[in-house]
Amino acid sequence: MKLWKKVAVAGTTLLAAVALVACSGGSSSSSTASSKSGSVSGSVSLWVDTTQVPFYKTIVKNFNKKYPDIKVKLTQSPNGSANAKTDVGKDPAKAADVFEVPNDQLGQLAESGYINPLSPAAEKTVKANNTSVSVDGVTWKGKMYAFPFAEQAQTIYYNKSKLTAEDVKSWDTLTSKGVLATDFSNSYNFYPVMFSAGTELFGKDGETLKGTTANTEQGVNALKWLAAQKSNKGVMQTSNALNQLKSGHAQAIIDGPWDAANLKKILGDNYAVAPYPTINIGGEQKQMQAFLGIEAFAVNSHTDAKNQKAAAALAEFITNKQSQLIVYEESGQIPTDKATQASDKVASDPVAKAVMVMSKPGYSTLMPKMPQMATFWDAATPLINGAYTGSVKEAQYTTKLDAFVKRISKAN
Amino acid sequence: MKSYKVQRRLSLTFRYLLLVVLAVIWLVPILWIILASFSYNDTGFVSTFWPEKFTIQNYVGILNSSQFPFLDWMRNTFIVAVISMVLSTFVTISVAYALSRLRFRFRKPFLQIALVLGMFPGFMSMIALYYILKSFNMLNLGGLVLVYVGGAGLGFYIAKGFFDTIPRSMDEAAIIDGATRWQVFIHIGLPMSRPMIVYTALMAFIGPWIDFIFSGIILSSSGNARTYTIAYGLYNMLHSTKGSSTTYFTQFIAGCVVIAIPITILFVIMQKFYVNGITAGADKG
Amino acid sequence: MFKRKDKKPPKATYKEVWSKGGWASKLSFFLMGVSSLKNRQWVRGIAYLAIEIAFFAWFVMNGISALSMLSNLGAIKKKQLVFDKQEGVYITKLPDNSVTILLFGVLAVLLLLGIIFLYVTNLRATKKLYIDNRDGEHVETNMEQLKSLFDSRLHTTLMTIPIIGILAFTVLPTLYMISMAFTNYDSKHSIGFSWTGFQAFGNVLSGDLAGTFFPVLGWTLVWAVCATATTFFFGVLLAMLIESKGIKFKGVWRTLFVIVYAVPQFVSLLLMAQFLDPQGPLNNILMNWGLIAHPINFIGASASPLVARITVIVVNMWIGIPVSMLVSTAIIQNLPQDQIEAARMDGANALQVFRSITFPQILFVMAPSLIQQFIGNINNFNVIYLLTGGYPMNNNYVGAGDTDLLVTWLYNLVFGQTQRYNASAVLGILIFILSAVFSLAAYRRTNAFKEG
Repeated sequence: MKLWKKVAVAGTTLLAAVALVACSGGSSSSSTASSKSGSVSGSVSLWVDTTQVPFYKTIVKNFNKKYPDIKVKLTQSPNGSANAKTDVGKDPAKAADVFEVPNDQLGQLAESGYINPLSPAAEKTVKANNTSVSVDGVTWKGKMYAFPFAEQAQTIYYNKSKLTAEDVKSWDTLTSKGVLATDFSNSYNFYPVMFSAGTELFGKDGETLKGTTANTEQGVNALKWLAAQKSNKGVMQTSNALNQLKSGHAQAIIDGPWDAANLKKILGDNYAVAPYPTINIGGEQKQMQAFLGIEAFAVNSHTDAKNQKAAAALAEFITNKQSQLIVYEESGQIPTDKATQASDKVASDPVAKAVMVMSKPGYSTLMPKMPQMATFWDAATPLINGAYTGSVKEAQYTTKLDAFVKRISKAN
Repeated sequence: MKSYKVQRRLSLTFRYLLLVVLAVIWLVPILWIILASFSYNDTGFVSTFWPEKFTIQNYVGILNSSQFPFLDWMRNTFIVAVISMVLSTFVTISVAYALSRLRFRFRKPFLQIALVLGMFPGFMSMIALYYILKSFNMLNLGGLVLVYVGGAGLGFYIAKGFFDTIPRSMDEAAIIDGATRWQVFIHIGLPMSRPMIVYTALMAFIGPWIDFIFSGIILSSSGNARTYTIAYGLYNMLHSTKGSSTTYFTQFIAGCVVIAIPITILFVIMQKFYVNGITAGADKG
Repeated sequence: MFKRKDKKPPKATYKEVWSKGGWASKLSFFLMGVSSLKNRQWVRGIAYLAIEIAFFAWFVMNGISALSMLSNLGAIKKKQLVFDKQEGVYITKLPDNSVTILLFGVLAVLLLLGIIFLYVTNLRATKKLYIDNRDGEHVETNMEQLKSLFDSRLHTTLMTIPIIGILAFTVLPTLYMISMAFTNYDSKHSIGFSWTGFQAFGNVLSGDLAGTFFPVLGWTLVWAVCATATTFFFGVLLAMLIESKGIKFKGVWRTLFVIVYAVPQFVSLLLMAQFLDPQGPLNNILMNWGLIAHPINFIGASASPLVARITVIVVNMWIGIPVSMLVSTAIIQNLPQDQIEAARMDGANALQVFRSITFPQILFVMAPSLIQQFIGNINNFNVIYLLTGGYPMNNNYVGAGDTDLLVTWLYNLVFGQTQRYNASAVLGILIFILSAVFSLAAYRRTNAFKEG
């Protein structure tokens, strides 16, 4: 029996020790950071999309010129930045120290504690250099959580041998003179009609839980507009608009800058791009809106305390003016840095010009950052598509919109 | 008599016709997949049956791509498939033989528990598997082999059904002559179960070539495309970047065709064993 | 397991072993394997002892904490943001990671059960040694024991590694999944979650997911019945067609069909989805031939639910009939011919022979595998996920479409927009119950069938 006592005593002591170790190990807060100021050192990993690995290699090389003591491990992210939330969520400890996020996932990542806010110093630089809308895009509850580097908004791409620049200024002339191929089953394309109609999603700031006003007369107007497109001969529902444009069945499509290179190839000399047209909604001519997305790099909160500074330095560098220009040149992503936007190269690019117009207030609405955005995508898509196909009848609009708002406004 | 002959011939013609029609229906989509792999396309969508423009660039592209190391994927998958084939076959046959020919205390409970375990959908366990492998630092091809082999112990039903049909008299005679059960297993059980071994091995070999879910969960966090297996690699090709499904779609099809050809040939050659396997299992359940 | 044959009454009780046994027997109650060592069964003794030592080392180092943390899945549930002035960076103090706590807690429970099992076998071995020594019977030597692993204990040799594999890669994950259903593990509690009892079950069965669960369940059952029945029935017909008199090159015909099944599904189904697109090749061909005026939306996001469901079943036939044809062929070739001959003599025509002799016989042989196929179809992830992705959309559902099965919905809940891990675990359990009920009922019926 004595043996047991000993074991018990030893066990409890060890238990206490283990508990201590486990707790401090579980959170990466055990700050053992040395107070070495000046040159930053460490070793950090970086996730980018598979096809972007080559040019990020160049950027990292540039980074190492400035920070020779930071070792960077550049790899492709498992399922692309669009799935950052799931990839990081699967195992945040195994995710890269710096990774790319679209801003609609920012709130959830921040709320879950997956990413760290920017230091006040970094916040200041980002604010000074980047457009104010991109800063808003990465701010959550008063703190900035990521370094913005690109803005995305869809625009109209059209065949200029068939349509003139004047034609694409209004949806009605556009679709009467030509055919626009698009996909209504993607709420990223058509939920913004709700904004044109005058409703708000999670308030003006995109952070107000009860701020959705879709269940109003304006919301009903938007659904009516969608329903009307079903009988519009100039609007073609397709799962692959690019193909319809190429085969000549359509003369215009709605697409984002990520497809611009392909579009140039397909349309050749007839390639043209323009901001969204105006639409007639509820009897009034309104600017058709798009979602404005901000792509940004965030720092993993699981990163060791000693590497936090290095990770932040990397995130800041790969989103600075020089890097944004490289990203723009290599993949056509529209920069958020004010000076880069103003540079000759960017300012003379029709795609960049159109996207920059679209990023202005009135043309687009910043994607809200609420964690509820996940529910939003799930709920909005069948609603928008249903209104277009007619499976949601006009008589049901109010009840469906009420249910939609109720579902996305749940705190828990 | 003559009218009977005519009737027979008519019936035969009709049956041939039916078979031809059915075979065409069955094979048209497959033919299209092959045609599409040769079509020039930059929109990520092949809308015609006959390609507008033939090209072999898709195959050249997939074999030379630096971002999508197709040959590495082939090699990885081949290694995983071979190792997991050897180990899984060993595990499955051992378990099936033990459950069919040996009598021991936990035999019945084991059979019941195995039946129950097989009914849980596997997806939820993926998260757990990920963390188990992570704690062993095995988020790599080795871990993938472990997962495939670890599940093999539950795939014994068909092989057990087969062993059940072999009469036991030979075993008993051998034991009376002084052979140990191990000798019976090695010298009588295994040689007789050759069709079963081939079947089990075939299934275990094909598994890694077509699994894109488990391999994705386990291999993706390495971030190194060279360590992927083929199914996940190809799947990842379309989903990795916005717009990549447009650029790489026809290369993706070409890659699919490249791996589908050997697997299809293998399966067609082995179909006899496959049938034996299924029917042996079906007899006894 | 309840009717153990010719079981002799125990020759000694554990009490007797404890009170009358020597020091080694007594010590074996605490230190596993001592009495084996005393009787020179070195390998077994050392193995027992080593396992016990390893277990206690692990238990003291990790086991106790793993088990104790299982009660609340970690004390810290909320993250905390701190500003590190020295470094000038924010640092997030994260909640305790409930995922690993739960996993290793379950693992600890399993290990505990394992050691209890070994302890019992140790006691049994001790008792046997005690009896053998008491009665002066032959005590197994070390060598004899090792040899028996290849003879009377061959099952141990064959089953140990597979069982460890099953425990680690199937049992542990399954138990983990089951326990997850009783927590609030979702996107809002993604790191630190806690036990919440049956709340998640309530969400699925009567809460916000109920409006999706019951329709999806209904379709899952319809699908499983249709998919199993169509592939089986037409597979038999195709097999009989190929096997019928006068057809030459039977093997070639069979191979033509089998090719479709042999192509990996993620290839054939993903591309089938494009083949069937409103602007895809099939619609183009049909329109060029003038068979249809407008493209048919078979499985798109805005297809009609009925069309999509029928399409899914038809495509499944495309994939499934070849296999079922292969299997039926083998059965047809082995069918006793005398009954058929007799029926022919009596003037039965081909249809009658098929309906009342051939088909029932095939059905009889295939019944058990049909049940398995049915359960396989309830869980048929590939066909739905790769072909339709759950489309067409349904605005009354939460996170699912009209062709989604329970299992693809489960996948969406884990890897889709809203990560509701607990709800998907509940679905996993419900799918299990569904499969268990059906297979139990079916096995009962087929057994009755066989006996009657």
